[in-house]
Amino acid sequence: MNHQDIDALLARYYEGETTLEEEQWLKQYFASGQQTPQQIPDAGLFRYADGARAEHPSPGFSTRVTARLNKNDVIHRIGGWSMRIAAGLALLLLGFAAGRYYTGSPNETVAENGQTAEIKNVLSVTQQANTSASDRILAVNQCTELPQVNEDITQLLINTMNADDNVNVRLAACQALVSFENEPGVREALIQSLKSQTDANVQITLIELLVAIKEKRAMNAMQQLAQSKQTIDVVRQKAEEGVSRLSRQTMNSAS
Amino acid sequence: MDLQTFKQQILPVQGRLFRLAKLFLRNREEAEDTLQDVLLKLWTNRQQLDQYRSVEAMAVQMTRNLCLDKLKSHGYARRTDEADLSLIQANMGTPHQLTESADTAAVVRQLIQELPEQQRLILHLRDVEEYSFEEIEQVTGISINNIRVALSRARKTVRDNYTKVLNYESSGY
Repeated sequence: MNHQDIDALLARYYEGETTLEEEQWLKQYFASGQQTPQQIPDAGLFRYADGARAEHPSPGFSTRVTARLNKNDVIHRIGGWSMRIAAGLALLLLGFAAGRYYTGSPNETVAENGQTAEIKNVLSVTQQANTSASDRILAVNQCTELPQVNEDITQLLINTMNADDNVNVRLAACQALVSFENEPGVREALIQSLKSQTDANVQITLIELLVAIKEKRAMNAMQQLAQSKQTIDVVRQKAEEGVSRLSRQTMNSAS
Repeated sequence: MDLQTFKQQILPVQGRLFRLAKLFLRNREEAEDTLQDVLLKLWTNRQQLDQYRSVEAMAVQMTRNLCLDKLKSHGYARRTDEADLSLIQANMGTPHQLTESADTAAVVRQLIQELPEQQRLILHLRDVEEYSFEEIEQVTGISINNIRVALSRARKTVRDNYTKVLNYESSGY
């Protein structure tokens, strides 16, 4: 190929019209160093390209990368979008299941259990000597804050109401029990307690509470209390008042 | 895709990816870092590689994007500016040697660096990596006609500027 041919080829080369094959000829031509002085400016690009093509990453590079790929292999085996989405869904379902199972976060449940245990411990009869009245009142009040009560708790409160040495603790227990009036056995226990209580304060409170919750079955107990000679006047008046109010409520509801 | 297949398919291309990264970043270490990032990314996403018409074209695109991201970061720009300054000084310090082949390549490299990014990429893919126009279209998303135009401009600009450098030297500095 002579210099004129090369010049024609170069003209097309600069217009971006040469094929890869033609460019190959040009490269060989310039690599052989036969270029004319006029072609020296053209040689620059070809010489650069030859040099640039020979560049490679440093010798240790491939081994380094392969080592890292091996290391990453295990971690990325669970990669891929489908796997990620599946894992996400699984987690979501697990979350829902857990939420249904516990109804309320697990932490709260644990805390409640701890609280209940503490209340039971403070109010237990055997512990009475070791706990102060204010501790027990606090425990009784904590009962009313529990979101859920069971028979254990109401029985504990009933015991406290009947058996605690301290009047104020007994009063607090009465008040607390009224908030659980719908629990089985609570109303009956309040009526029974009215018969057995000897302290005027507690008797009055019980009468008021029983009237407030409209417990008509308490009328007998109140009448007994009103007729009893051991009852002090204030309590007798209160009992009579309670009986009349409850009977009035009965008449009202009857008419 | 297991490691063996991956090595067979991707690692032969790594020379090309490395040269491309070096074209953008002008620094061996940075180019190797980028290449490593690209290879790890490809390996991470190897399950999806089958969906691509050309893994190589995708790898080239990825390398280019990663390089452009790196160049955009502030810290990188400052570092390479300093490197460039020393490079220019080194080149200009020995004008009488410009015609020697190693320096010719260095001067032309410098001239190519001054081209707009797109022209630089197309010139590199065609004249260094010997891509067909179709392959360049696949990598850049530019139509073949526009690739020809950009290539023509890039080649002419480099030749004209190189001519200027040569004249500057022969005029006695």
